[in-house]
Amino acid sequence: MKNRLIAATAIIASTMGVANGEPSDISVWAWGVAASSLESTLKGFNAVHPEITVNIEQLGYAQVKSRVLAACAAGGTGLPDVFQFQNIEMELITAQFPDCATDLAELGFSNQDGEKFPAFKMAALKSGDKIHGMPWDTGPVMMFYRRDMYDKAGVDPDAIKTWDDFVDAGKQIQAANEGVVMTNDNLNGGAEWFRMIANEQGCGYFSSDGETITINQPGCVAALEVLKTVSDEGLLTAGDFGERLQNAAANAVATQMNGAWFEGSLRTNVPEDQSGLWGMYFMPSVAEGGPRAANVGGSLLAIANSSDNKKAAYEFVSYALGTNEGQVTMLREYGLVPSLLSALDDPYVGETREFWGGQKIWQDVLSSLDRIVPAVGTPFFGDADQVMQATQIAYLNGEFGTAKEALDDAAQQISFSTGLPIAE
Amino acid sequence: MRLRTTTAYGFLLPYLAIFAAFWLWPIVYSFYLSFMSTRRLPWSFNPGMTWGRIVQDPAFFNALGNTLTILLIQVPVMIALATVLAVLLNSRLLMAKGLLRFAFFAPVVIGEAAYAAVFRLMFNSEFGIVNKGMEAVGLPGIQWFGNPDAAMAVIIIAVTWRWVGYNAIIILSGLQSIPEDVYEAARLDNVSPRQQFLYITLPLLRPVILFCLVLSVIGSMQLFAEPYLITNQGGPGGATETLGLFLYRQGFLNLNFGYASAIAYTIAALAVAISLLNLWLGRERT
Repeated sequence: MKNRLIAATAIIASTMGVANGEPSDISVWAWGVAASSLESTLKGFNAVHPEITVNIEQLGYAQVKSRVLAACAAGGTGLPDVFQFQNIEMELITAQFPDCATDLAELGFSNQDGEKFPAFKMAALKSGDKIHGMPWDTGPVMMFYRRDMYDKAGVDPDAIKTWDDFVDAGKQIQAANEGVVMTNDNLNGGAEWFRMIANEQGCGYFSSDGETITINQPGCVAALEVLKTVSDEGLLTAGDFGERLQNAAANAVATQMNGAWFEGSLRTNVPEDQSGLWGMYFMPSVAEGGPRAANVGGSLLAIANSSDNKKAAYEFVSYALGTNEGQVTMLREYGLVPSLLSALDDPYVGETREFWGGQKIWQDVLSSLDRIVPAVGTPFFGDADQVMQATQIAYLNGEFGTAKEALDDAAQQISFSTGLPIAE
Repeated sequence: MRLRTTTAYGFLLPYLAIFAAFWLWPIVYSFYLSFMSTRRLPWSFNPGMTWGRIVQDPAFFNALGNTLTILLIQVPVMIALATVLAVLLNSRLLMAKGLLRFAFFAPVVIGEAAYAAVFRLMFNSEFGIVNKGMEAVGLPGIQWFGNPDAAMAVIIIAVTWRWVGYNAIIILSGLQSIPEDVYEAARLDNVSPRQQFLYITLPLLRPVILFCLVLSVIGSMQLFAEPYLITNQGGPGGATETLGLFLYRQGFLNLNFGYASAIAYTIAALAVAISLLNLWLGRERT
């Protein structure tokens, strides 16, 4: 299979006139471990395409986002050949600058290629016949926990089935581990916790067709109530992405809830003596027996329309994201969960991982994939997310009587700034 | 005569062309944009989505409120501190004057990104020196970046730290221009040092302080880097979002250029209003 794909890539390449040895340079913008993981595919890629030099520039997530948007607004000036973007935010670009990312169909991305990825991933990247990017990874939500801290408090992670269980466990863990907080959320700069629990409960900012606002529906109300309880019990402190990793490295936090792509960031940022001390379990649900799967994050690679090396760029993107070899390398090195369906059957997935206390983490992570219904982005994700961040802080500080009132207000504000109606 | 003006305009042309392309045209174009709904392509004429929104947008009033809060708390506190600092730096009893003056001025020299990163670390709720210090003396730690008021306090402290020395140096130059014989006469009349400060130093410093005030007000209106870098883009939940940050967010993160243009014009109008107020205050003095 692997060889066939490489052969296929080589054939495409030769028909497109790139593999004729003509050297070309392509530049890529990506953030965090995503950039590192692309770097890790270069060895394999250059074995097939020695003539293409790939320069990967590792930036912060906010930097990539603001630079790409500014460059698209400037008609593509200053864009690299390839850039990373979050799936949930991509419609912002395609709605405002439909020609900023090139149409991959023109470069040879066929319908059959599209079927190699989950339908929801492709749906967000298509407008009409145009395909604006190639799906990269997904983010099944997991609870990343410290085995030693849970053990010390006598807490069994498998017994944490509901958020109430999580709160009880948190109290015990904080009592047994001096100076440790149960968990962190990016409270001051994001609404990820809310979005994860809301997604688990089947709720999102917008309806699945993207035409109405659903942020005040029961699933979202339940999610905000959970956040408030965890915060009120003193089990959650604020920290942006870097600070959550610092806390983990400093043995100051017992649990992190995040997309499975957090695996690589965590593993490569904590000291080596924490190897074997970490584990994963599924996120708790609101009610006993309720859903326990959600998605957060997940990216794509797009090729700039302004690129002079579109063909070479496409070669690289289709190797890194469209072959098992590329995708499994990134999973192995940095924990990026492939959205390429065939990569999920790779034998590597069944291996135990020493860092994770011998757990077969990828088997666990991937088993939740088909229970996930990811939230839709729409061009208005940013607007809604900003309103939600403000609402969440106001609610946590007691400015609203109930979560429902807070979210009704948020729905009004989102409706006001986007012009979309609130769902019945 | 005519030829001479033509030649003069010829020399001015490169500048005028650049001015027209990069100043005049954007100013005119953004005025046009401020009437357009830019939420979806194609853009359409719909002032209700821009001007109609700004007069009732809670997020805009939040940013305006935050900017005014900083203006009304940070600027007076900083100018008062700077005046006291300047008087102390001017003291005869002070050793190593040059070194101390440089030390207080130094924060301005440091890049915004560098000092923002240090402030984030100092106020980190788990490991920051501020919370560790408070815990050491028995006070409870504060969630500096999770609590809206605390986050605002951090911004005010940071901006004050950065600019107080700069203002103190300007005020110090004002102090040194006050003739020594005025104080000599006061001492002969047995005026206490406190009264000297209140009735001689302060009134004579008034123009310098007013100058610092105008500069600081303009600086506060434009505040962007601190809330962007220190409180994670105006967090928590917009509690430290200033007008500049709000404009950036609408224009370059939400790609809502129409609304961003309307915000830009509103900020400009506010700046004009405040400048007129300053002029009026200045005129009354003479």
